[in-house]
Amino acid sequence: MENKTGNSKVYKIISLVVLVILAVLFLFPLYWIVTGAFKPAADIYAQKPVWWPSEWVTTNFGNLMNKRTAPLWEIRLPFSRLFAEGGESIVLSTGPSVPAVFRWLLNTIFMAVAAMFLTCFTAAMAGYALAKKRFRGRSILFGLIICAMALPKQVVLIPLLKEMSAIGLYNTIWAIIFPTVGWPFGVFLMKQFSESIPGEILEAARIDGAGEWNTFATIVFPMVKPGIGALAIFTFINSWNDYFMQLVMVSSNTNYTISLGIATLQAETTVDMGMLMAGAALASVPIIIVFLIFQKYFTQGITMGAVKG
Amino acid sequence: MKKLLAMLLIGAMTISTVACGGSDAPAAEETPAETGAAQEAPAETAEEEAPAAEEAATETEAGGDAASAITLWTYPIGKWGDEATVKGLTDAFTAQTGIAVNVEFLAYADGDDKVNTAITAGQAPDVIMEGPERLVANWGANGYMVDLSDMLDDTDKSEIQAAPLTACTAPGGEIYEYPLVMTAHCMAVNLDAFKEAGADQYLDLETHTWTTDDFIKAVEALYAHYNDTVAAVYCAGQGGDQGTRALVNNLYGGSYTDADHTAYTWNSPENVKALEQLKSMDGIAFDASLAGGDEIVKFYQGILKMAFCWNIAQQLDPNSAGTGSGLTVTGQEIEFMSFPSQTGESQLQGGIWGFGIFDNGDAARIEASKQFIKYMADSAATVDAVKAANYFAVRSTAEGTDLTGIWADNEIMNEYQVLMPQLGDYYQVTPGWAGQRTAWWTMLQQIGSGMDVTEALTQYEGEANAAAAE
Amino acid sequence: MSKQVSQKRSRALQRREDIAGYSFMLPSLLFFVGFVVIPMVICIWLSLTNSNMHTKGGGDFIGLMNFINLAKDKVFLDALKNTFVIVFVSVPTVTAFSLWVASAIYKLKMPVLSAFRCIFYLPVVTGSVAVTVVWKWIFDNYTGILNSVLKATGTIDSNINWLGDEKYALWCIILILFTTSVGQPIVLYVSALGNVDASLVEAAEVDGATDLQAFWKIKWPQIMPTTLYILVITTINSFQCFALIQLLTQGGSGTQTVMYYIYYTAFKLTEQSGHFGYANAMGVILAIFIGILSAVQMRLAKEK
Repeated sequence: MENKTGNSKVYKIISLVVLVILAVLFLFPLYWIVTGAFKPAADIYAQKPVWWPSEWVTTNFGNLMNKRTAPLWEIRLPFSRLFAEGGESIVLSTGPSVPAVFRWLLNTIFMAVAAMFLTCFTAAMAGYALAKKRFRGRSILFGLIICAMALPKQVVLIPLLKEMSAIGLYNTIWAIIFPTVGWPFGVFLMKQFSESIPGEILEAARIDGAGEWNTFATIVFPMVKPGIGALAIFTFINSWNDYFMQLVMVSSNTNYTISLGIATLQAETTVDMGMLMAGAALASVPIIIVFLIFQKYFTQGITMGAVKG
Repeated sequence: MKKLLAMLLIGAMTISTVACGGSDAPAAEETPAETGAAQEAPAETAEEEAPAAEEAATETEAGGDAASAITLWTYPIGKWGDEATVKGLTDAFTAQTGIAVNVEFLAYADGDDKVNTAITAGQAPDVIMEGPERLVANWGANGYMVDLSDMLDDTDKSEIQAAPLTACTAPGGEIYEYPLVMTAHCMAVNLDAFKEAGADQYLDLETHTWTTDDFIKAVEALYAHYNDTVAAVYCAGQGGDQGTRALVNNLYGGSYTDADHTAYTWNSPENVKALEQLKSMDGIAFDASLAGGDEIVKFYQGILKMAFCWNIAQQLDPNSAGTGSGLTVTGQEIEFMSFPSQTGESQLQGGIWGFGIFDNGDAARIEASKQFIKYMADSAATVDAVKAANYFAVRSTAEGTDLTGIWADNEIMNEYQVLMPQLGDYYQVTPGWAGQRTAWWTMLQQIGSGMDVTEALTQYEGEANAAAAE
Repeated sequence: MSKQVSQKRSRALQRREDIAGYSFMLPSLLFFVGFVVIPMVICIWLSLTNSNMHTKGGGDFIGLMNFINLAKDKVFLDALKNTFVIVFVSVPTVTAFSLWVASAIYKLKMPVLSAFRCIFYLPVVTGSVAVTVVWKWIFDNYTGILNSVLKATGTIDSNINWLGDEKYALWCIILILFTTSVGQPIVLYVSALGNVDASLVEAAEVDGATDLQAFWKIKWPQIMPTTLYILVITTINSFQCFALIQLLTQGGSGTQTVMYYIYYTAFKLTEQSGHFGYANAMGVILAIFIGILSAVQMRLAKEK
């Protein structure tokens, strides 16, 4: 017995040391991004890597900002290019010209938030229906959803591209949002959550004469709120990180997301690592801050998603 | 199911009525084509009176029904990849014609994919700026481009050098690219590093040429001094492959294609010898982690002592970093050199860049695009368009403006002229061009990781010729 | 009589359920059918045609020709092999590693625990492109920090061309994939282990079971559902590995994957470019493999 606890203590200390080393390694890329973003050109182009900026400068951010510009926003009359003269959609309002990275950030936030809301809204309703409504065709539908869930959405990229261009959404943020929303994982998750709603409560509401929508809004919705939170976080991170759809669906600089923008900068023949790191910092630091603030909800959300899923 | 489908579409549309950030590519709708005559008119006027560009442009506008906005996608050709420079050029055009130009900048690494994606989505750009190997041999051959032969009258044809014009002409006689600038691709050496290693004795800085023997001795001297890779046969992708092609072909006088541009001729004793030689040299690495652009960065950093992906635009502004002509980041001196060959006389790879128009089926947009090309490639403004590219003009005069002397005050440009007579065959229009590029860099990777040279050349030449046969 | 009434009533009830059910399903179905089901049906159909970007319309039906050609396509077979290497290496290592980390940290005090959890989760939130870009620099042949450190410590004599050498490139990609994949499983395992009934573990220890025995007999079965979930999501993620390939090697140095080859076939500028039928056939094959693997995992987990 003595021996055993001794062993396990040694094991514990060793594993803790290993963990700390691993943690440092995991933090290293982030460290490298942040320091790289503030290194002067001499450090960036040095033949031997420089561990700590010899001087903290913002020139990399300056270069990034000067590289491309874009209007901060453009509100267009939807589908107007289908009837407008010259095939250009009608622009209702254009924002001031700013460094394109800000537009990319704005696009990314818009994309992630819109995908998040649409997914939560549609999935909450559908999940409830699948769990509690005994409509015909329900099990077939559910089977379809399960099948579709396992398939990577990238495999359908070519038909999706053609479809988007046919309905006039190619080269818009919506072409990235809609497939994300269509992804049935959310529906599946919300079904699992809705299963736990006691049938008696719903029955009682029905007897009280509450309409279907009312029942959903006042009874179901509050009960599945934790699930919605989990789904919201999941969707937000996934669409923030998605790159493939963006690469295929968007062609103009003004519609880029931050990931796509950085990838494009990287693709250009002359690579300026300092500028790329500045871009990477802009792309990652905001979401890391959001993550650190809402960390508790993130981990709860992820966990709940899995337990129910 | 049908009902569902219909509902789906309706739903999608309703939701997107709140869409912001719409697409600004053109609709592919047909509008009645009636610009044929309109296009010829200005060209004729130009020929008779050789008027200033302003006049020609105004008349074109009066004659045609040009769209009010077009899109231009450009690869990073000199400063044509720089937003401020391009904006200056397009703003001047807009001021004169009232046609707005939406510019997108493409990168060589994924620009082709973007264009192909846009074509698939039916929203290709109006004007694209690149070389004949894409515009003519690929998109043109596949029927996406507008024939521009009506833009070139006899005067234009006499002003434009024959070689680039031929390269821009498809086998059927259609001209899918209106050429603007050209250059000879070369290589570069880090002169300070060469001096340090005592290798500068092998360079002839008067003629900027050297022989294969000189090159081998220089690499040996450099390796003896630095004990590390001094030059890289980069092969991470197709980017900058003109450099590796020219290097391999020139070393022992091999060729890349046959003289008629119908088949690839990689598997020749000369090329085998060249690749065996390169593979055997300690100072040279076959590097599958570098593409042309990466090689330039490493050279610019002073790590590699030679760059095979070089040209006059790089010499003027190494790495497009704005840190001084002909200097590395640490201020070491860069000299451009011809590729080494047994005689010193090399066949340099030509680069030709110009404009093409995608046929989006909208006559008004095509008309506006033609005005744009006319303005950039054949008017008083051509001087600026050429200068922005940092290359040489393909034509002697543009609507009365002399273009031969635009670089007269630039020493480097003048010095670079010594390489221009070595400009070799422009074989980039050989069928299967785009496909063979993959075969080429994959082959270099394979040789680098130990594949037998003859075997590799046989296999990948086969793949290239299979692409040519398609 | 009453039977008839009740039948009528139940039919009315069923109608009501149908209407309510489909009304609630409608918004979700619009997206699901529109942007998942329809493209998938088209994808399967196109995989049986010679459709390509240069000809208008859907192309001609050519049966299973695309699949037959794929079976002969050396590049595709390589890509398939690499994809499976990625999946079969990364899935078990991710699962085992995250289980080990989780069991090492789940009993720690809250701030320490959450610090570790955050750190391992960071690469996920950093974003795939940002992570890839920085790793490219770290792995750089000439100026990368990795070579520099290894040389300084005397581990290697000369630079290793991590991303340019067939011996290493795929493993580098697996490593990066690994760092971006373990975050979620660790979070999941920490909470799953925290939920294991402590009294059972104690009882086992009183009976003289070692830590290892207690783990396998008590904890492992209880965290099985979590393990299953992790296996499935990691499998799907590993199959989708695209950004890493596109931004790091463009499929060179022996890192071609099916996902990248689909993109390559569809949009890269080659004479075969825009060969949509062929690309879609690869998509179908990939989907089938993922389906089989997921089903096998589910089955295995259920049996245990």
